[in-house]
Amino acid sequence: MKRVACNEPAEVWGDAKVRVEGVSKHLRQHGQPFAVLQEVDLYANAGEFVSLIGPSGCGKSTLLNIIAGLDQPSSGTLYLNGRRAEQRLGTVGYMQQKDLLLPWRNVLDNVILGLELRGMSRRLARARALALMEQFGLKGFETAYPYALSGGMRQRAAFLRTILPEQEVFLLDEPFGALDALNRAQIHEWLLGLWETLHKTIVLVTHDVDEAIFLSDRMYVMTARPGRVQLVQVIDLPRPRRLEMVTTAHFVALKARLLAALRQERAAEYKDGKR
Amino acid sequence: MSKPDCTTPVAAPPAMEPRAAPYTGRLRLRRLTGSWVPAVLIVLVLLGVWEGYVRLWAVPKWLLPAPSVIAMTLVVSWELLLDHTLVTLLEVVVGFALSLLGGVLLACGIAGSRTLERALYPFVIASQMVPIIVIAPLLLIWVGYGLTPKLIVVALTAFFPIVVNMVDGLKSVDPDAVNLLRTMGASRWQIFVKVQMPTSLPFLFSGLRVAMAVSVIGAVIGEWMGSSQGLGYLMIRSKPQFLTERVFAAIVVLSAMGVALFALVGVVEKLAIPWWHNEQRQRSLSQEE
Repeated sequence: MKRVACNEPAEVWGDAKVRVEGVSKHLRQHGQPFAVLQEVDLYANAGEFVSLIGPSGCGKSTLLNIIAGLDQPSSGTLYLNGRRAEQRLGTVGYMQQKDLLLPWRNVLDNVILGLELRGMSRRLARARALALMEQFGLKGFETAYPYALSGGMRQRAAFLRTILPEQEVFLLDEPFGALDALNRAQIHEWLLGLWETLHKTIVLVTHDVDEAIFLSDRMYVMTARPGRVQLVQVIDLPRPRRLEMVTTAHFVALKARLLAALRQERAAEYKDGKR
Repeated sequence: MSKPDCTTPVAAPPAMEPRAAPYTGRLRLRRLTGSWVPAVLIVLVLLGVWEGYVRLWAVPKWLLPAPSVIAMTLVVSWELLLDHTLVTLLEVVVGFALSLLGGVLLACGIAGSRTLERALYPFVIASQMVPIIVIAPLLLIWVGYGLTPKLIVVALTAFFPIVVNMVDGLKSVDPDAVNLLRTMGASRWQIFVKVQMPTSLPFLFSGLRVAMAVSVIGAVIGEWMGSSQGLGYLMIRSKPQFLTERVFAAIVVLSAMGVALFALVGVVEKLAIPWWHNEQRQRSLSQEE
């Protein structure tokens, strides 16, 4: 039973870059099957910034793994660029929670990993990366090794590594989780600036409502296990977004609505005695 | 616009200082006491006690030669010792190289394939259960008295720590890192070369240090079983002649060779995986804070 709400724009399935249709995922634990995702429908248009939010354990990361091609759904279909995509590895940029910088490579050689795997010569790949170092705040640290970097720098290096292969779609799994609030706010504005020049599709998983509202065009609120889409909310705040917007009446109204949906979910969870 | 344009004015994120390594006087003292100084002191004290004991009780030379006598032998018979040292060194180095090559290949096979693991690992372990002392005389019968049986004994003793450590290293790879490369479209071979191999290198070098130490022992055992040259042979021959000081001189040279080779592995390791050492140092420094 789907509970997809109200305010979806008309050109829903049209030119969606990513489309997830009726995706369910079942796993076995101690021999007992249990559903992680149930009939999830989701899409992201070209150049759209979409966020996924929901209680922990609602299968957000599983969904990203499935979109990236690391995992296959038990049922349902995935479309990339309007085409059914069974084999998705190597076509979607995926940034996981951990920065996963390789300790034996310096910053420059870490960020070119994706290009290198596609057969680009190291020289060419390095030249391409060097041109972006300043924009990513990594200038002067090209030859530094990951252990010498701050958390923010590691995260930006991981992000540069994700976007360098120039995929159309980027999946970001709680990329700012390790940063403190001040750094996060700065990174948000910076990320939006970057996204506006890139014109790429971003699907972001987060548990931070403010972050999701501030960054997104649309938000999906998911239910607790099994993960279903509970609410789709269009964020019609004007762009470019500014930090001041977080205190506007409209922002607060959106936040109240989303928090209510999340709270309702949590209440249902308690009532079902799941915790 | 398909690619990020660096002429577009996107503000660079705030620069952050890399963590600076603290360095205090207390640490410097600890580094000194943590170095070779205590080891040298212990050796000097032991040698002094030994020398004094032999002289005071007038222990005969064939029973226990004094350190000074051994040192004298080292100086007087240096040519003889050098000849035999070079033979043993050759056995150790070539045998070690063979075990390195074989061990790494074996480890790659074992870590890369479940079938190979089941098929080969029992034999790898069994090879260590049969005492080398038993195998060595058989080798003499099969391949003769030359260099070959020594190389086989050295390789048999040294390959085991290499295989075991390397397999552990190859298996300790971070599954998330493997997944990252998969999302980038990496092939199995690319994942092996770019993630698994580098991950396993610190493990491999731990194995190599052990392997180097047992290589020296292996060479001596090989020589004891039957040979006409080498430091092990020199010991065997000097003992019935009651040239105990020469046995000790050979032991000194052998130990020095072992320590030097062991240190050499350490040097190669520092050159081959500098990132590992820097990371370790960073970790220990931040713990001391």
